[in-house]
Amino acid sequence: MDAGLLLLQRIFDALTNSAIYASLALALVIIYRSTGLLNFAQGEMATFSAYVAFVLLAGAAPGLTGGSLAAAIGAPYPTVAAIGAAVVLGAIAGGVTERLVFRPLRHASELAMVSITIGLFLGINSLVEQWWGTAPRQFPSLFPDAASDYLDIAGARLRHTAIGAWVTLLALLAVLAWLLQRTRGGLAFRAVSFNRESAELSGIRSARTLMWGWVLASALGAVAAALSASSVLLEPKMMLRVLVYAFAAATLGGLDSPRGAVVGGVVIGLSQTLVPAYIPFIGFELSVLPALVVMVIVLVVRPAGLFGTQRLERV
Amino acid sequence: MSDDDWPTPMPRRGDVGRSGDDAIFAVSPAPQAAGGAHQASAAGGQILEAPRRARRATSPLGWLGAGLLAVWLVAMPLTSTATQLVQNTQAMVMVLAVLGVNLTTGYGGMISLGHGVFVALGSFATAYAAADLGLPWAVSILAGAVLAGTLGAVVGLPALRIKGIYLALVTLGLAIVFQPLSKRFTAFTGGVSGRTVDAEVIAPTWFGTSRWSQGLYRYLICVAVVVMALWLVRQLVDSRPGRAMRAVRDDDTAAAVYGVNLTTTRLATFAASAALAGLAGALQVVLLPFASQESFPPQESLVLYATAVLGGLGSIWGSVLGVAIREAAAAAGSGLASIDGLGAISELFDLFDDERLLFGVALIVLTFVFPRGLASAIVGRTRRRDA
Repeated sequence: MDAGLLLLQRIFDALTNSAIYASLALALVIIYRSTGLLNFAQGEMATFSAYVAFVLLAGAAPGLTGGSLAAAIGAPYPTVAAIGAAVVLGAIAGGVTERLVFRPLRHASELAMVSITIGLFLGINSLVEQWWGTAPRQFPSLFPDAASDYLDIAGARLRHTAIGAWVTLLALLAVLAWLLQRTRGGLAFRAVSFNRESAELSGIRSARTLMWGWVLASALGAVAAALSASSVLLEPKMMLRVLVYAFAAATLGGLDSPRGAVVGGVVIGLSQTLVPAYIPFIGFELSVLPALVVMVIVLVVRPAGLFGTQRLERV
Repeated sequence: MSDDDWPTPMPRRGDVGRSGDDAIFAVSPAPQAAGGAHQASAAGGQILEAPRRARRATSPLGWLGAGLLAVWLVAMPLTSTATQLVQNTQAMVMVLAVLGVNLTTGYGGMISLGHGVFVALGSFATAYAAADLGLPWAVSILAGAVLAGTLGAVVGLPALRIKGIYLALVTLGLAIVFQPLSKRFTAFTGGVSGRTVDAEVIAPTWFGTSRWSQGLYRYLICVAVVVMALWLVRQLVDSRPGRAMRAVRDDDTAAAVYGVNLTTTRLATFAASAALAGLAGALQVVLLPFASQESFPPQESLVLYATAVLGGLGSIWGSVLGVAIREAAAAAGSGLASIDGLGAISELFDLFDDERLLFGVALIVLTFVFPRGLASAIVGRTRRRDA
């Protein structure tokens, strides 16, 4: 295989991860843009949703926490229905979390906000491990995933799962764009993100609007987790690294720019595959290091990222 | 850390000696002092007396805490088996790591979610110095603290530009990246499965040769190091650099105007706090000759952060209290988990036997109830009753 073909293959290999990082980064950006909060628990919330999908897929398997509950509502479900239901449940859980935890504390300090997200992180992480164990589990893909399911492009293999991940992401982006640009609720959301006080003065219920932001973000996170679980394996710590990649993507693109999150996701996804391939020292194990370095450099040199708004600090 | 926490007097040239207590004790006079000149004549005496009174008000609780601590320090080894003695000492040593988090987050205003990394570095460096280089233990322990402190200063470099929630993000990233990174440096860290340390702290023969007396000997070393470190931190936070640290936390621009060097203050804060965490890691190797990245998943760093916040930021005793709560909660958790036959309730107890869940929930609840941490809640209440 010549170098050009190898590069093309590597780019194809990076596509699924790019889609995963982009969707989780989008979730982070939606919440940051509207509330100024970095949700460190986003990855764990998403992992929880993926396990819910797993339970809905498996039904009443022996020793599976929640299995009998899932069986009572008709599990095992087909793959699409199980993941869809888990995304909806995850979105509802996100809205409830906003209502119960973040809304009452919206005037609290930055430290309090960090503490809350870390509390959620630890709590959810512990529940997932205690309920479903640390052993990795097989998670089915939404898309054809047999060894022969690929498109041959100039000799490189573009797998159907990668195409599927991108179709999913683009569909989500279209829905998101429609919601934000074409609906009243989206207009309200943009108004609240832009200037909360003015939005409230013009009669927008900002708290309820922000709750919808959490609903959207949690749904995006759940999709990211489902994609991630089917591309590798489902395990409790699966979103830890993905969270770093997604934060790096969001930071690179600009923390308040949805477009930036997608571009950042693609760049970080590519770098995760290409950097270890061409710099042998990094290796696959360490491929998360470049992401952290990118994050630090962007925050130090250009905190607004590629597409974000420049923050002005008044002293 | 809102804007109204402007602490003790601004650091001035020649302003040495103790100018008040920890930051949280010094908060009360500030709003009064800011109340306006027309009140000054009426309330003048009060303003001058306020810090002293606040300190006196906390002393009964302080004495109670110190008494309990002294009883524990003596009673714990006497009532423990050899294994329990090591476990309890391991828990005690973590006071230093929590205090490290407290120093950056509480005193320095730089949120750190990655201090487990420095504990690990301290462990690995001490293991390397003692076993591979054959250095004496005193030097090896110091090496652990120094290496962690040095790398802490390096990690502190981005903190010169990155603040608040963004620094929290970077340190969380560090905590997550650390495990794969440490697996890479096999010679130093033992790779995936960790390393045993082919050197042990051996008590002199007159001390006794049983496992328990070996444990007691190591316990005494740890107590000595922890007490010394606490005393040093106490001196630091009350000194001019310590006040500079808090001034930078509360308003870096104002601090710079008063002549505080922001760069050195931030880097020194990070280095000192990482060195404390490294010291905790070094003592872990003294207690058990083993070091592994397995002991330092990102969740461990987050639990350290949670412990520091729950105990109370900006207070040395807060960190001691945090660790005491952590251990009491663990004991209570396993006690409750051993109760069976209560159906759903005992299942709930079992779930909360995991400190991550317990601390996660406690962190959320306590942020609601006492946004400034436990120690400040106790202090604040005492002060109000007194006023």
